[in-house]
Order: sequence, then structure tokens, then C-alpha cells
Amino acid sequence: MQTLLQILVNGISTGVVYGLFALGYTLVFSVLGVINFAHGAVFTLGAYLTYLLVGGAVGSNGLLAGLQLPFALPFWAALPVAGVGTALVSLAVEATAFRPLRRHQAEPLLYLITSLGAGVILVNLLQLLLGAEGYSLPTTALGSLPVTLAVGGVQVRTVQLVLLVVSALVLALLSLWLEGSRGGKALQAVSEDATTARLLGINSDAMVRLCFAVSGFLAGIAGGLVGLSLSITGPYFGINYGLKALGVLVLGGLGSVGGAVLAGLIVGTAEALVPGEWSGYKDAIAYAFLFAVLLLRPTGLLGRVSITKV
Amino acid sequence: MDRCLVPGPVLAQFGATRRTQSTQSTQSTPSIGSIVSSGSPRPSLKVRRAGLLLALALLTPLLPACTPRPGPSGAGGSGAGTTGAGGSGAGTPGAAGPLPIGATIALTGNASVIGQDQRIGLELARDHFRGTGPAVELRIEDGGSDEGTATNAFRSLINDQVVALIGPSLSQQAFAVDPIADRAGIPVVGPSNTAKGIPQIGPFVARVSAPVAQVAPLSIAAALKLSPTIKRAAVFYAQDDAYSTSESKIFQQALSDRGLKPLTVQKTSVSDTDFQNQITDTLRRKPDLIVISALPSDGGNLVRQIRELGFKGTLVAGNGMNSPNIYPICQRNCDGLLIAQAYSPEAATPINQAFLERYRKAKGAAVPPQFTAQAFTAYQVVVEALAALQRQQPAGRPLAALPRPELRRQLNATLLKGTYQTPLGEIRFTPEGEVIQQRFYVAQVRMAADGRSGRFQLLP
Repeated sequence: MQTLLQILVNGISTGVVYGLFALGYTLVFSVLGVINFAHGAVFTLGAYLTYLLVGGAVGSNGLLAGLQLPFALPFWAALPVAGVGTALVSLAVEATAFRPLRRHQAEPLLYLITSLGAGVILVNLLQLLLGAEGYSLPTTALGSLPVTLAVGGVQVRTVQLVLLVVSALVLALLSLWLEGSRGGKALQAVSEDATTARLLGINSDAMVRLCFAVSGFLAGIAGGLVGLSLSITGPYFGINYGLKALGVLVLGGLGSVGGAVLAGLIVGTAEALVPGEWSGYKDAIAYAFLFAVLLLRPTGLLGRVSITKV
Repeated sequence: MDRCLVPGPVLAQFGATRRTQSTQSTQSTPSIGSIVSSGSPRPSLKVRRAGLLLALALLTPLLPACTPRPGPSGAGGSGAGTTGAGGSGAGTPGAAGPLPIGATIALTGNASVIGQDQRIGLELARDHFRGTGPAVELRIEDGGSDEGTATNAFRSLINDQVVALIGPSLSQQAFAVDPIADRAGIPVVGPSNTAKGIPQIGPFVARVSAPVAQVAPLSIAAALKLSPTIKRAAVFYAQDDAYSTSESKIFQQALSDRGLKPLTVQKTSVSDTDFQNQITDTLRRKPDLIVISALPSDGGNLVRQIRELGFKGTLVAGNGMNSPNIYPICQRNCDGLLIAQAYSPEAATPINQAFLERYRKAKGAAVPPQFTAQAFTAYQVVVEALAALQRQQPAGRPLAALPRPELRRQLNATLLKGTYQTPLGEIRFTPEGEVIQQRFYVAQVRMAADGRSGRFQLLP
């Protein structure tokens, strides 16, 4: 029973971050119908920004070797500030990699190339400036909280619980905003039909920018949380998470917010259920599971089958 | 919570009504713009596009390989490139300019922490040996952390008519690229390839990095010496890395030889960041020794999580984590980690003192890591072999006058016959290219109180 509880805690704390990360993909896909491949790089940037804001110093191999900010924020403050930073970078990605193509009504494949290019440039820029070495947020980042807690007889790292609580909070706020605010509803309207939404007085371009900003914020928060929990293992560490989040996006149903969260939890728990001796193959097992689910339900778990008019 | 940003009724709230439809078709749920379908069973254009995008997404792991080939840079720069040593300009293949020496190291990807240590070693060696032999120039290419990028880098340097190659950073890469150089008849010196079978790749392949079979068991012995009560051991290794796999077999054999059959062998991946499931599974079995074969990033992370989840016993790591680059990852949790060493900064030899002085000038007061010392040694071996070969030539005849294939063949033979006084101590090679090194060490990581800096303290 304790083992099962341990697995569940591990799986859910991992899965909720997958869900948070995948939501960024979901938002952009919903509005533009394309996948933002720079999202993984923005996630990575979020982790680095959080690290710097809590007082972390740059190592010895980048152009900014030895750099340390003159102040150190507590983690609780650093995380949203990093999220704002990544939201701004995400807006820059939209302005450079997406907006010019939208103006020319380019094919979706071109967005793939430009966003992939933006992601590669961002990752390489991080390596150039900050070096390739790994970083961990200081062990004191959570203040006086203990490193581990005993929950139901199971030893749980405190950061796992922090991850769970913060992610759940962000997801709840996002859901409230989407459902309860005019801005959220306008975003949904644009995702339904941008042209009609524009005719109804909604500024579609502004909504696209808002979508990128929210997506970047979510990526930054997810990156900061993973950085806290698992370390930043170099500028490339977002790649695996990016792939996993794409899987989550599809499993949940393209464009489904609730689906992304549910799929994140499922993938995280499925990975946790892989026996320890087979953990090296957990990605293969997770993707095989995903493959099997999609064969049975091609629209994803919560993807809607829509009626299309001709 | 179940809010779908997909075609739905929200537009109606802004005053729109849905158009009536004459034909219906079902499809999955893309977003903006209605999708016109003929009603045929074929997936809509948009769905197929989405499928294409997702398929291409699987190419994302190739990102490091997509990194543009860096241009030339000077010492201390951040990109790969050409750095001269004793020559008067860039060498032209076959011309009587400086002899090009190629180096392929991991400057990007998961193993770039190793490559960055190696780059410093190569550049220090280039500066140290400038003017001590035939004019040479060092050409560094980024070999990435995968076999494909390393292959491209090796081929590029071979096309540049290099006389010898240093690298690649990982054994996994060496098994892929060394045969290419061997077939081309170009001497290769591995600075950090420790897996079983590297020198056996071919007659032109040698290494200055002692094999895991010699080094790894020392740390197990040291662990048992420090904690004679150890009875229960567990093993972690990165199953997708040739070096880690090879080293782990040695570790497991060393444990079994001492009556410590591993309770569990956990397989990880070099790209893994979350090890909590494997760790909780392992700690359930109550080990008092955990042995890790991994690279700095994943290994450092693993150590941190093992300690945070409450393991108080002894930790032994392999050569892949033999770098101060683990400090920022596992921080104070690195403390106490045992790692066998092929290099001692405490060696009082003139060459080591010169190496230390150059390192401190370049990097501050820090002690050089083993990877830096080994890269320095690899370059030293090549330039000293070239100098020895030059001395064998008739007076006034430059080495560059030799046809390049013949020069490479003679260089390989000279290199394998030589004895070298290096920062690693005196080394020489077997005819097969295996390094013969006199001494090895075991170090214990000691972290400062702030958890940010540390040192490898050699055990007596």
C-alpha cells in the first residue's frame, strides 16, 4: 500500500507538470492550429530565470561566467517573475516566428520551421551565455521547509508537494480565467473562428499575443518547478519534456484544456508504474501506452468530435 | 476544468450563430477556421497537417545536431574553430603550413559539460607546447553528444587533411566514429573513452584514458575500506550509454567478487532527470552502498535525489561524473561521493606543475578536473610524437613534405612507441593502443558549507 502511495505521489507530481507544460502547446494550437516548437526552449529559459532570480550564479563556461544578480528573491516570488520573463520571450517568438507568416497566410509547415528555428536559437543562446553545465536551485530555496515529509508512512520530497500545489493553483486560475472572464471567452471565440470573432469586434491579433503570453507564462512556471524539483541539466533539458508534453497534448485531445491535465496525470502515473528495473525504458512504455490509447480513441481522451460544415 | 478551446458555442456569446450545414463529416478537433470537407472518409487537410507536424516533432531530439557549425574563434571563445600554435597561418591541406590536428569534443548536448572541461585542456596544451616541435594548428569541432554529430565532425576534420584526431568525448561516439578514422589511416587518441574495446577498434586507435576495468574497482575497494560494514549494494547505470554500461558491468563484477551481489540494478537514461521511482524502489531494499555509472548531468541529479530521499549510506560514482561540473547540480548532496581517479592534482612532476599553473591562470584558483588533464595529455602525446618523428627526418626536411598518408602512418607508429611524462604521470601504450599508466587514485568529494563549491580530496 505504501509502495502504491509512493508511486501515485511520484506520478501525479510529475504528471501535473506535464499537463502544465502541455497546456502551453494546447493554447497556441487552439488559436493558430500549429504547434509552437519553441515552447520547450521557453520552458528551459523559465528554469534558468528562476535559478538566477533565487540568487544562483552562472558557472565558469558561458560568456556570463560568474554572473550573479545583486539580489535574491524567495522562490515564491522568483517563480512568477520568471513566468513574466518567459511570457515576454514568448511574445518575442510570436512577433518574429509567427506574426510575419500569419500576415502572409503561410502554410502551417512554415510555422514549424520558424518556431523550431527560434527554439534552437534560444537554446544555443542559453548555452553561449550560461554554459552547458547543470544547475540546481539552492537547497535553501524553500526556506525552512524540510527536505522530506512523511505522508501516510511514505517519505515524500517536499518539492514534490510544492510542485503539486503550485501546478494545481495555476491550472485552477487558468480555468477560472478561461471560463469566467471576457478575455478568456474572447480567446475561446478566436479559437473557434478567428474571422467571425474579428467581425464581432474581437481583436484577434491581440488575442493571439495574449495566447502566446499565457503559454509562455505556463512554460516558465513549469520550467521553474522542474528546475526546483529535478535540477537544470543543461540548455537541452527541455527537449525531453517538450516531446512528452506533445504526447500529452495528443492524448488529451488537441485543444482540450482538461484533456491536457488528465493526460499529463495519466502519462506521469504510467511512467511511475514502470518497475524500477525497467525504468530505462519508461519512455518507450509511456509512448506505447499513448499509441495504444490513440488507436482506440483517435480524438484523444477529451477531444471532441466536431461537425464540420461544407 | 474541461474547457475545450475548440469549435463550440462560445462565439454565440459574442452574437454569432452557427451556419446550417448541408453535409456533415466527423473529424478530430483542430481550431481556427472551419474546415471544409467533402464528406469523404479521408482525414481532413487540417488533420493531416497536424499529423505531419506531430511526426516532425519526433525529430526534435535532433536539435543538437541541427546546431550550425560554429565558425573560427580564438582561445577562450565559446565556439569551436581553429586555433594556431606555432604556425604562421591557416594550414592548407598538403601545403607546407602548420600541420592540422583535429579535435572532436562534445560542446553541445548532454555531454557538453565533459567537452567544456576538455576544451580547456586542449587549449592549455596548445599554448604550453607552442614552438616545441613542428608547427601545428589545433582545429576543434563540436562533436555534440550523439553519434551523428560526432561522425560529421570527424569527416569534416578528415576532409581538412588533419594528421591526427583527438576525441570524441564519449565511448558511445567512439564506437561509431573511430572506425572511420581507422579506415582512413588517421591516428586517433581518445581523451576520455574508457569503455571496453576502444583500442581494439583498429590499429590507428589509441587512448590516454585508462579503461574502466582498471579504475572502477578501486572506488569499490575504497568504499569498503571506509565502511567495512557494508553488506547490501545497489547499482544504477545509464543503459543508453556505452561507457556507463561497460563500467557498470565492471562495478557489478567488483561487487560480486567481494560477496556483494547487487540487490537491484536500476537502468536509467542519460537524458533522464526524474529518478524518484527508481530511488524509492531501491531504498525499499535498504542498501548501504549505491554505485552509479552515469554522465555528469544525469548522475549529479541522481545523487541529489538519492540523498534528498533519505539515503545515508555510501555513494560511489564512475568516471563519467569525474568533474566539478557535478557541484552545481548535487550541491551539498555531492559530499562524500567516492570516485576513482586517473589524475592527481597533487603530483609534483614539472609537467603537472606547469599544467596546474596554466589552469589556475586561465580559470582562477580551481583545481583542474581529470577530463581537462586527459585532454591536455592527448594533445601532448600527439605533438610530442610529431616532434619525435620530425627528429627522425633528414635535416631540414619538414614533416609536411611527407605524403599525408605516410605521415599519418609514421606518426601512429611513433606515437605508440613513445613514453610520455604527462600530468597523468608517465604513460605509454601497448602495441594495440591501450594506455599503460602507473598510478590511479580514489577521491572523495568534499563540498564547502555553502554547497556551491567543492574539491576532489584524494584518499590515502
